[in-house]
Amino acid sequence: MVRAVETDLGSVVDALRSNPEFRHFTMTPLVGRDDKTTIFQNVFGDKVTSLTMQVLRLMIERGREADLESVHAEFVKLRRSEDGIVFATVTSREPLTPEQKVALVEKVELRIKKKIEPEFVTDVRVIGGVKVAYDNYVLDGTVRGSIGKLREKLRYELLKQS
Amino acid sequence: MSNEQKSSGSPIVGIIIGAVLMVGGTYLSLNAKALGVGGIQETLEGQGIPLDFGKTIGTIGVFLILFPVIKSFFIKPLQDAIQERNSDLERTFTEAENLRTEMERMKSDYDRRLAESEANAREQIQSQIREAQNLRSSLMAEAATRADALVQQATAEIEAEKQKVLVELRTHVVDLALAAAEKVVGENMDSERNRRLVDDYINSVEVVA
Repeated sequence: MVRAVETDLGSVVDALRSNPEFRHFTMTPLVGRDDKTTIFQNVFGDKVTSLTMQVLRLMIERGREADLESVHAEFVKLRRSEDGIVFATVTSREPLTPEQKVALVEKVELRIKKKIEPEFVTDVRVIGGVKVAYDNYVLDGTVRGSIGKLREKLRYELLKQS
Repeated sequence: MSNEQKSSGSPIVGIIIGAVLMVGGTYLSLNAKALGVGGIQETLEGQGIPLDFGKTIGTIGVFLILFPVIKSFFIKPLQDAIQERNSDLERTFTEAENLRTEMERMKSDYDRRLAESEANAREQIQSQIREAQNLRSSLMAEAATRADALVQQATAEIEAEKQKVLVELRTHVVDLALAAAEKVVGENMDSERNRRLVDDYINSVEVVA
């Protein structure tokens, strides 16, 4: 149920982010709360759970439409905290293969002794390799990271010599 | 005082003697022949000396009578004037001498004070010169110290700046080299190499037991 609510809220937030007109309709005070509730009911009524619909209706009635994204983010954060899951961002130059994803997640979970919820993103600036960021930690296996470490080491040596 | 008594007694005697001589002389002049001096007078007159003893004696008597008068009205004031003049001169000389003595004393005092002033001035000048020399020495030493400190500071700053520039230069070289390395590696990176890098990293992740 918690996962379903999270997914439902995520789909609503995705719709707000991807559709500016829908976002404007949701955020504007010119549209009445009853109209908004009706529209939300018509659009999401058969796609989300009743619990999610109640949450949406309650937020519209209280005029908290602008807090949908932050509520979703806080919900995800609380859910992860409740489940003992750590959110991790995995960055690579190219999309990882499914085998690489599974192997990397297993290694990281074994290392930090916690389940992780990875988000895989691509960024050509890493040049090559892969980087895992969670909480305040970073496991950097990228070429850019290695060059950065080399740069810091060389700078440290230069400063030490001077 | 004795001179005044003597001078007051003498004129009377002189006048009496003068009167006697005048009267006697007149009488003799009038009665020369009768008194037996006419022949002598004629003899002398014959020899070219017309001498009348009576007139001569009378003249002497008149002179003796007139002498105190002359003395009283002419000689005495003249003597007094001379005496006063002498007294004035003596007083003037004395005053001049006193003034000279005073001037000498003042001159010696002035010389002494001048000498003291000169000595004091010399002493003060010497003192000021010594003080100036000491001040000059201290200022020179201070200036030298500060100059040395400034030179050392400037040298240290130059050295620090040099090191800073060298570090910046080397850092820049490092940045350039690493940027070039990034570019070269990025250009040479392909999917196969990337896959190997990911696999290698996954295999190298350390798992804490």
